[in-house]
Amino acid sequence: MSTNHYPALHQVEAIQNAFEAAGYICTTRIATVIRLAAALEKPVLIEGPPGVGKTELAKTCATVVNRPLVRLQCYEGLDESKALYEWKYGKQLLYTQLLKEQLGDVLDGAKGLDESMARLHEFGDVFYSEAFLESRPLLKAMEADQGGVLLIDEIDKADFEFESLLLEVLSDYQVSIPELGTIRARSKPLVFLTSNDTRDLSDALKRRCLHLHIPFPSVELEAKIVASRVPELAQSMTKKLVQFVHAVRSLDLKKAPAISETVDWAKSLLLLHAKDLDSALVQDTLNVLLKYEDDIQIAQGQLSKLMVAAAES
Amino acid sequence: MKQREQEKTTDGANHGAVSSDQLLAFMQYLRGQKIAVSPADTLDAVAVAELLGYDNRSLLRNGLASTLAKSAHELAVFETAFDQYFQPTMRRPGAPTAANDDSASATEPSEAEGPMPASTPEQGNEDPLDGLRGNSLFDALENRDDSALSVAIETAAAEAKVDDISLFTQRGQYVRKILDALGDEALRDAAIELEQSEPAAFEAVQALREQLRERVRDRVERAYLIHAKAETEDLLDESLSKIKLGNVDHSQMARLKRLMDRMARKLAARHGRRRRRFRRGKLNVGETVRRAIPTDGVPFSPRWRKSERKRPQVMAICDVSGSVAAYARFLLMFLYALQDVLPRTRTFAFSAALGEVSDLFADLPVAEAIERVNLKYGGATDYGRALHEFSESALAEVNNATTIIILGDARNNQADPRLDLLAEMKARAKQLIWLNPESIRLWGTGDSEMLRVKRHCHLARECNNLKQLERIIDKLLSDRR
Repeated sequence: MSTNHYPALHQVEAIQNAFEAAGYICTTRIATVIRLAAALEKPVLIEGPPGVGKTELAKTCATVVNRPLVRLQCYEGLDESKALYEWKYGKQLLYTQLLKEQLGDVLDGAKGLDESMARLHEFGDVFYSEAFLESRPLLKAMEADQGGVLLIDEIDKADFEFESLLLEVLSDYQVSIPELGTIRARSKPLVFLTSNDTRDLSDALKRRCLHLHIPFPSVELEAKIVASRVPELAQSMTKKLVQFVHAVRSLDLKKAPAISETVDWAKSLLLLHAKDLDSALVQDTLNVLLKYEDDIQIAQGQLSKLMVAAAES
Repeated sequence: MKQREQEKTTDGANHGAVSSDQLLAFMQYLRGQKIAVSPADTLDAVAVAELLGYDNRSLLRNGLASTLAKSAHELAVFETAFDQYFQPTMRRPGAPTAANDDSASATEPSEAEGPMPASTPEQGNEDPLDGLRGNSLFDALENRDDSALSVAIETAAAEAKVDDISLFTQRGQYVRKILDALGDEALRDAAIELEQSEPAAFEAVQALREQLRERVRDRVERAYLIHAKAETEDLLDESLSKIKLGNVDHSQMARLKRLMDRMARKLAARHGRRRRRFRRGKLNVGETVRRAIPTDGVPFSPRWRKSERKRPQVMAICDVSGSVAAYARFLLMFLYALQDVLPRTRTFAFSAALGEVSDLFADLPVAEAIERVNLKYGGATDYGRALHEFSESALAEVNNATTIIILGDARNNQADPRLDLLAEMKARAKQLIWLNPESIRLWGTGDSEMLRVKRHCHLARECNNLKQLERIIDKLLSDRR
């Protein structure tokens, strides 16, 4: 087991501390999965509602192991030429044009078609060599010398066919290019896939991954996260704010506020020099937390109840 | 870390062996809970357990969750299952709390603090129980060596083939078998001998035997829950999917809904991906040449052909009059469970009048929407009028990607069923499917127009249970005429 690539990821507690130092508070479950991912060399499939820090986890991981992060954002219609590799058609064509003149020299003195062909063959597949290969994110991650972190973001947005394309990369850490052969990862990267669960992923893909479901955090954890992200905010204020957000999440909303929204809210309250969380202030800043007019109205209707929940100790 | 793990696997070999056996049994248990655990998952799980060690319960729980639970739903199931499965043997009241204390407690008898009668006899050399010491079962019981007991019980359970248990009434029989395999007989004989001479020692032995019996009973109970219950569940699901939907009573609704969702998920998984299909790889010569004009005919950017498959659109027209309403309800529920694959489904309901009810379904929970629909459009059935109203309002939007599903018994109270409209719909639509909840033998009897209607449909089927419904929707999704 070549865990030596990422010595920072050998122990669960160490991972937690390192991530915390990098500004990401992670639970033991998250730390355990990362430890397993590094040791078993398996990709991690992160699922959870938007805004709970799925992408952030991969980014932080790259910081912690101090390796480059290669990011592939998925979307409908993403295909191999944008994810894996593409031939530099333009360059190929340009070079053929430029080398046309050379052709005379090469074939000089060749008798008959067979001999000409034989001579041409001696030059091999010049045009299908690495010089003409445009690496896209997946191949780039394979080519990194010291390993790295590959983030395949929002895999659920990509087409089903694309998932199949990923299988080879994810299980064997290699890419097959028909013209060149198989390119193996020089050093296996840590792979993270994120999904917002807009559709089910294929079993084949799921099977190859470690699963990590990140739910909305508990009050304590979220308070810790906010405190680490917005340390200037008073502790009592942070607690109230987080409790308020948790109360809001229990409402029937179109989109419940995520951690990123809580942090944004904390930042805006800080900007406004708020000393205490009162209902007028909440009224004015609710739009930071909730993104739909309907949701804001629902929350405003329940404001007094929410304020009580926030003030609980 | 590495070293520590190494130690764990070597010195705790005995203990580790139990756990990996337990781990395998646990995965069997998970399968019973409808979590698909493939052999590859099993290998992964074992690798994870080897890596994390068996001693830290929460660490192991987190680690296993990452390989065995593949969705939020499965995670919840996994967590309860894990707690249920590993709790009873790993943490008994009074037992050593951390499993890695086991090796210690095995060598030096634990100075028990629990209320166990005569577990540490103080009579000194004159102990009547001495005769029993050396019997491994008795020692394990007396020292409350949890892991040794677990090993023994697991071995005996395997010997008794307790996992074959299928009926509740077999429990006593299996408890007996396991106790025999454990060697309880020796203890019983000893107890009988002691009964007269040493009542105190007799009590002690009996108490220990009772504890043993209790643990074995737990083990058998668990086996029953794991293996037999899953079988019963499957049986129930199977029969429910074949029962006439009109006969499903209220108590089974929840189960039926679950079953339906599962079927819908399966269908969605099977067909969802085929929706968009690109045929890439063929050069689009015309486009490439056109693009090459600015570069003096040198084709710098080749263009490829691609074709996109249209998503099927479904329009469902449902009779919601009394006799058919129950079936309409299931068809609509099924269609809406399939929203992922069929995002543009439109639904119409009629009895006397016809109206579009798609919005109702988008906004309300299915059961409520059905009630509203019944309220609004219920009445004596008139297929002629319904088809006419459909033609007026929606026929313009029917094209060669549209599939029309009509659900009804085609009993039209002797009125004109307007087959001409049906023919027009058939001509315009990609498919016209008529689902009739009546048994095929009743078609054409009485005021049923089914035989005439049938000629104007691409497909006319009897459809009154979930299996049939699934088959038809499957066909609908896979057909690409």
